[in-house]
Amino acid sequence: MNDEQYRREYGEHLVEQVKNGKMTRRQLLVRASVFGFSATVAGQLLAACGSSSSSSSPSPAASGSALPAVVTGGTLKAVIPPPLVALDPVTIYDQGGIVLVYQICEYLIDLSNTNALVPKLALSWTPNQKGDVWTFKLRQGVTFNDGSPFEAADVVASIDRVLDPKSGSGALAALAGILKVGGTTAVDISTVQFNLEKPFADFPYLVSASSYNTAMLPRNFSGNFLKKPVGTGPWMLKNYVTNQSCTMVKNPTYWGKDAQGRQLPYLDQVDYAFVTDTSAANLQLQSGTVDVQPQTVFQGGQSLLKDPSLRVDVYPSTGIRELAMNVNKTPWQDYRVRQALAYSLDRPAINQALYGGRSNLGYDTFWEPTVFPGSPTPPTRAQDYTKAKQLLSDAGHPNGVDVTLTVANYLENPAYAQLIQQQAKGAGINISINEISYNAFYAGTNSNTPWLNAPMCIVEWGSRPAPAVYAQAMLLPTSAWSSSHWNDPDFVTAFNQYESTTDEATRTQLATKLSSIQQTQTPIIVSFYISQLRTQKKNVYNIQGPGSFYFDVSEAFMTAS
Amino acid sequence: MARLIGRRLLLMVPTLILVSILVFALAEVLPGNVGRSILGPYALQSQVNQLNHTLGLDKPLVERYVEWVGHFVSGRWGDSLQYSTPVFPLVMHALGNSLLLAGFALVIIIPTSIFVGVFAGLRRDSFLDRAITISSLSMTVIPEFVSGVILIVIFAVTLHWLPVNAMPPQGSPFIDRFYYLILPAIPLMFLELGYIARMTRVGTVQVLAMPYIRTAVLKGLPRRRVIFSHVLRNALVPTVTVIGSQVGWLIGGLVVIEFLFTYPGIGNMMITAANFHDVPVLEACVLVVALLYMISNLIADIVVALLNPRIRMGG
Repeated sequence: MNDEQYRREYGEHLVEQVKNGKMTRRQLLVRASVFGFSATVAGQLLAACGSSSSSSSPSPAASGSALPAVVTGGTLKAVIPPPLVALDPVTIYDQGGIVLVYQICEYLIDLSNTNALVPKLALSWTPNQKGDVWTFKLRQGVTFNDGSPFEAADVVASIDRVLDPKSGSGALAALAGILKVGGTTAVDISTVQFNLEKPFADFPYLVSASSYNTAMLPRNFSGNFLKKPVGTGPWMLKNYVTNQSCTMVKNPTYWGKDAQGRQLPYLDQVDYAFVTDTSAANLQLQSGTVDVQPQTVFQGGQSLLKDPSLRVDVYPSTGIRELAMNVNKTPWQDYRVRQALAYSLDRPAINQALYGGRSNLGYDTFWEPTVFPGSPTPPTRAQDYTKAKQLLSDAGHPNGVDVTLTVANYLENPAYAQLIQQQAKGAGINISINEISYNAFYAGTNSNTPWLNAPMCIVEWGSRPAPAVYAQAMLLPTSAWSSSHWNDPDFVTAFNQYESTTDEATRTQLATKLSSIQQTQTPIIVSFYISQLRTQKKNVYNIQGPGSFYFDVSEAFMTAS
Repeated sequence: MARLIGRRLLLMVPTLILVSILVFALAEVLPGNVGRSILGPYALQSQVNQLNHTLGLDKPLVERYVEWVGHFVSGRWGDSLQYSTPVFPLVMHALGNSLLLAGFALVIIIPTSIFVGVFAGLRRDSFLDRAITISSLSMTVIPEFVSGVILIVIFAVTLHWLPVNAMPPQGSPFIDRFYYLILPAIPLMFLELGYIARMTRVGTVQVLAMPYIRTAVLKGLPRRRVIFSHVLRNALVPTVTVIGSQVGWLIGGLVVIEFLFTYPGIGNMMITAANFHDVPVLEACVLVVALLYMISNLIADIVVALLNPRIRMGG
């Protein structure tokens, strides 16, 4: 069977799954995006499922209500945290750096406002039947902003570059065991084939914008991005002052057009002010010095919500604060103690205190349908001290346990730790908080760094586009970033099966199993999936992209205030 | 005096060497790892180790120090580990910003506080004296992040009279810098004015009680001449010493103001470098600030000696 036949069959399979009630319409859209079906084809598949209103997620309030007529030109002023290190697409890992690289460079696959995969430099992506060879068709007629053409050889070089250990790219850990150097080949000028080390049904996520180090760079990229900031994106770097500000001007040769065929971007220029302190950044917005803040932190940003000159959009990101319990350390070896802590938490109260009730509640599994559409619905976990005490007693701790929670003095983590401490006390879990600096938290080597070795700690995670990406990162014995050190053979087996099959019914069954094992074993507590806030003046429209990292202003415009 | 100045200048050399050793050693005990900071939490440990090796960070501390100091004294300040950019322009840019803010603040603070202090001293125990003393003391005890936020909310957010940040947009004329520095300079004035004015007041009160002032008045000298030629000249001696000691802080210690007003000064840069273990930047910043601190103290001592010839520096 050739690729095209397989795609057609897979589409028919998805339709059948929906008709038989084994899959939701929303789940169909997600899977269609992973398998590279265009929006048109996905729509046709939905139509084939029978009449019903579209279940696609509405775009978040990115543009307020109805859009006014597009105004071209003008300068948008944004405030972001300063990039922590030199701007380099291969090694960036912080919000400031990711936001800026996202303006200049593009990815094979982008993320929609609801974290679905959408074509960018790749027009389609198709797996073979086994799921270990993926073929990507590239967009043609795209050039880098230095005039050189974007071709398959650039994709091969960009992917091999991040897989080279010497590059220091964080993408290597995410792709380890799945793709190695030499696994990417140029079939022709506009076709690339990824030959994986093992079948991986969620592979497209690993070369999408969510894997932010996989930005497409020219094949001859020298490594000094600030000196030669070359990309295919809508913006070009005009000026960069370390730790202070930068200016982006529109790329006149950008390939992107809007639905009416107008050249993108609409704006002429975007000025970025680098501000570390969130209070200072909020004041810049309130005084009218800047027009937009891609990420507003709720703690301290409450006054922005009431400011009549501003509009605050809520984005259902998939970022979490992982409460990891190291299963190699006392008393966390016993899953009942871990469950006891989970049942001692009042999650709605935590959500209210930390995010004004705006985030989505989590129940200690990554297969959470409110943020990952199509996931099986897990049993909820309300605060239940009786059950928690019984679990502790069953585990041999009738008088409770004394534990230490290590937390970095960063973002809302200390406040979250205090809430956990207060609530766990009612179940007999006495928590001492060890609050340390952000640097100290991530200091050291794998064998002694607090975030991977503390008995219990809170780790902040930015958005991940799929449950499997989270699981791959922290729940497997091969995971590079496992703070819990959990190793469950049943989970590993089910996970490998889950990533090896493209049969949706089987995947749904396996997802249910994985979710159940994760929740029962509770190696980590996921109390919430953070909804992020983006604040802008009311005359700013049509900013796109999910969460704080993917700040797409290529179709943004400003009206007269 | 020239000999004494020369001796003070020579003394700066061992002081700076000691400072550089201390900073190098302290940076070593700070938590964190340069390779991890550069590559982030998601890089593999093997990648971090490889980068540390490439940067020479796995060499012994003494070897690294000797290597760094050799480069530093020969004018090669190296590259920032954090930003992969040359240290010298980075630090000089931040220093220039800090000098501008400190200079602008001092131009406001020094004449104002001397005038207020002398005015209060001349009217000792009057209502105005007490009002000045109490209000200046009150302003001094308000932390700059409190007064700064209040000023921003009033003048930038509510009235829109002044900008909230301390740097004008790229491409603005240089003169605009001063307009943007007004708001950050005010909390500094609050802090320093009370301190310097009270010192001047005390000096004025003490000098007014001296017999030579009574003599000057009794021999019929005009009041203005008594104040400018006799009172001020002697009353300012402690004030100048205090100002000299504050210059170093105004250049390198304005971390809170720099954060609040988003000002890329050298205090801000030192904190960032220390957090990141960016030793080349941290060393350069600390040494530059230490040098300026010593020079400002030396200048203060020279001014004091010029104001009062009876004082001889160092005996």
